[in-house]
Amino acid sequence: MKIAHKVALAALLVTVTLLAIQPAIAHHSSAGFSDRPKEISGTIKEFQFKNPHSWIQIMVADASGKEVEWSVEWGSPNQLGRQGIRPATFAPGAKVSMKVNVMENGAPIALFVGAKFADGKMLGRYE
Amino acid sequence: MNKTTIAILLGLSVSLAFSPSLSYGQASTLTPFDKLPDWSGVWAMQGGTVFDRATQTGTGGSVDIGVREHPPYNAEWEAMYAANLRLRDDNRFPDVQTNCGVPAGFPRIMNLPDVFEFVVRPEAFWILAENGGNVMRIYTDGRALPGPEDRWGTYTGVSVGKWEGDTLVWRTVGLKGWRDKDNILDRTGLILSDASEATVRMRKINDNTIEAVMTFEDSKALTKPWTVTKQYRKSAVPQQFVYDYGCAENQRNPVDATGKTLFLDPTGKPVN
Repeated sequence: MKIAHKVALAALLVTVTLLAIQPAIAHHSSAGFSDRPKEISGTIKEFQFKNPHSWIQIMVADASGKEVEWSVEWGSPNQLGRQGIRPATFAPGAKVSMKVNVMENGAPIALFVGAKFADGKMLGRYE
Repeated sequence: MNKTTIAILLGLSVSLAFSPSLSYGQASTLTPFDKLPDWSGVWAMQGGTVFDRATQTGTGGSVDIGVREHPPYNAEWEAMYAANLRLRDDNRFPDVQTNCGVPAGFPRIMNLPDVFEFVVRPEAFWILAENGGNVMRIYTDGRALPGPEDRWGTYTGVSVGKWEGDTLVWRTVGLKGWRDKDNILDRTGLILSDASEATVRMRKINDNTIEAVMTFEDSKALTKPWTVTKQYRKSAVPQQFVYDYGCAENQRNPVDATGKTLFLDPTGKPVN
């Protein structure tokens, strides 16, 4: 690979990384959500890859072991699609750990920060 | 003269009677394709969605507490903007677009996330915004702006322009502004009135950057003209697709009667 191509590839990777860490939610404010990410782990039920925002539905066991459906809001499919995200990115049945900003009233609603899959692949700001 | 000939002549007469408004005096005003600049590709606005970053105070984006801009408002409109800011700080100033029913309008169409296409044709210039599926039309075929009696205030107004070399200069009038409280410039609550008008100078300042310099006059809201510059960067990704954007497709953030943005669980029940 020529040096120019390497530089171009590096620039593209930097751009994609910067896009991935932009605030995901632009349609409304994030008032009412904690700004300190919390980790949740569970099984993907559904990935709603739709406008104006994507929603990741994930089943998470609470302290008593009961499964609770969490709704995790992410960016628009238009923005995410340009970053390589696809409807199959969060396939139903996949085991995922997520960093999320949770709603401060305790409802199982959160804003996406990052995710780590069973194979170690990470998205967003998981670390 | 037989009946067929008469019918043909009658048809031609009727056609000619209705055609002058389409072609009269236009041919000489059109800039041919080969003289127009190449603005093809996919473009993204630079910076956040604070409309006038040059006068921004406070840290963060348009939804962050304390962030505001400083257009040359008169006292009445400064008070109206301050009221919107207080609602924004209290999370009670929903983006009017959160209702998924109205266009962004002008000038907000120049201040949207996602991407744009700028379509340059001899007779018109079209701004196609991916966000919200918003469209703006600037006619460059030599037509005049409608007179004041023929304007009724719309989100995007009416615009005509002309090419000065590689710079498109256009005038926008007939805006509804904040008249119906459903048209904003950004989510700080920045607004203009239904008397607002704008002159825009838009040009490519280098291979990858288009700049729009917008000067607003508003006899109801501003004490002097207000100029705002926005830039758009060309995507380095070749043959990028632009998608639709149906705001109502999966709307889980409706607004209640108090202006609060709700979050719906998967059954549609608000949880906040």
